[in-house]
Amino acid sequence: MNHRHLLPNEIDLVVDGEAGFGVAPLRDHIDECAECRLRFEDARFVVDALESVPHFAPDSRLAERVMSQVPVFVPAHVAARDSVVRWLPRPGPARVAAAAIFTSAAGLLTLTVVWLATQGEAAVFMTGLLGDRMRGAVLGAARDLAGAVLGDSALAALMATGTVGVLLLLAGFVLTAVGTVAGIRRLATAGRGNG
Amino acid sequence: MLRALDLANLPDADVVALALEGRDAAHRELIKRYERPVFSLVFRMVRDRELAEDLTQDTFIKVLSHLDRYRTDFKFSSWLFKIANNVAIDHLRRRQLDTISIDGSAHAMTSDAVEATRFDISDGSENALDEMEARELGSAIEQAISGLRPEYRSCILLRHVEGRSYEEIASTLDLPLGTVKTYIHRARQELRRALEHTRG
Repeated sequence: MNHRHLLPNEIDLVVDGEAGFGVAPLRDHIDECAECRLRFEDARFVVDALESVPHFAPDSRLAERVMSQVPVFVPAHVAARDSVVRWLPRPGPARVAAAAIFTSAAGLLTLTVVWLATQGEAAVFMTGLLGDRMRGAVLGAARDLAGAVLGDSALAALMATGTVGVLLLLAGFVLTAVGTVAGIRRLATAGRGNG
Repeated sequence: MLRALDLANLPDADVVALALEGRDAAHRELIKRYERPVFSLVFRMVRDRELAEDLTQDTFIKVLSHLDRYRTDFKFSSWLFKIANNVAIDHLRRRQLDTISIDGSAHAMTSDAVEATRFDISDGSENALDEMEARELGSAIEQAISGLRPEYRSCILLRHVEGRSYEEIASTLDLPLGTVKTYIHRARQELRRALEHTRG
């Protein structure tokens, strides 16, 4: 048996439940020494009393009172992220479906762009061919319309004069239309004045 | 967007990060987690419920308004307790209420002064909870705690009511580790003497 009584800080180590390798001999000493055991029990009594004291509850409106005085600031990057997230469906099947559709569309678009980039000549050829066909179709339709309105002989004469003839025809059409509208308005105004 | 259930499962550091993003619910979660420990510490320091309510409110306003100053290498609760303790100690220094006991200040020289500093356990108790708490503040251990010097009181409450380690207490109260150990040892000795009469 060790006859040296424990120092106050050694009693504290045991009371605090320290687990260091030097604490075991202190515990053994307390088991064997009545005086040190008494001092330990005194200290333990105080600690037990302290550890039994409860927490107190503040007023239930504390959170409201605090929050009414705390400025909650949302940083710009968070606000931007939130506005994006707000458009997303809630987590679940809808979000999975949206993600799948978005991923598929983005993948398809990427593949198309990559393919077009690798097929530059073919793309230019196809674009030119498509343009020629569209122009031919539009001109053909215009020719058919003019033939139906003016007759084949007048159309042939018009084609012979070229752009000047077409411009003259259009000018004549516009003048005739304006003159007709003006004449009808005058007749209508005169009719109301006599009435 | 953030459910209370989700927040309750997060560690303090994550809740603080969400609060810094301006999440109202995260602020409230921090208050919910620590309102009782902070209020209890402050209440035992100032021994006045209404005042403790105000000081607890001040503590949370300070903490939540300056979350951007919180360093994540520090435990959030330690930072919070440090501010709560400073708020309480500042008040005690201003009011010099550090030695008030349930029977009135030991420094009171006249019967009026004793009456003015007496802690009336039924005064201001508007509900059963208040009455219960006032009774508990009047218990032997609570009286013994109230008789301690404020710096001893902070240390002993953080150690045995909040379960903080000596190192955490040292960092919370900005004290050397040796000083914390000394304060706690002396506080225990004083409490032991104060509680001697209660032991059979």
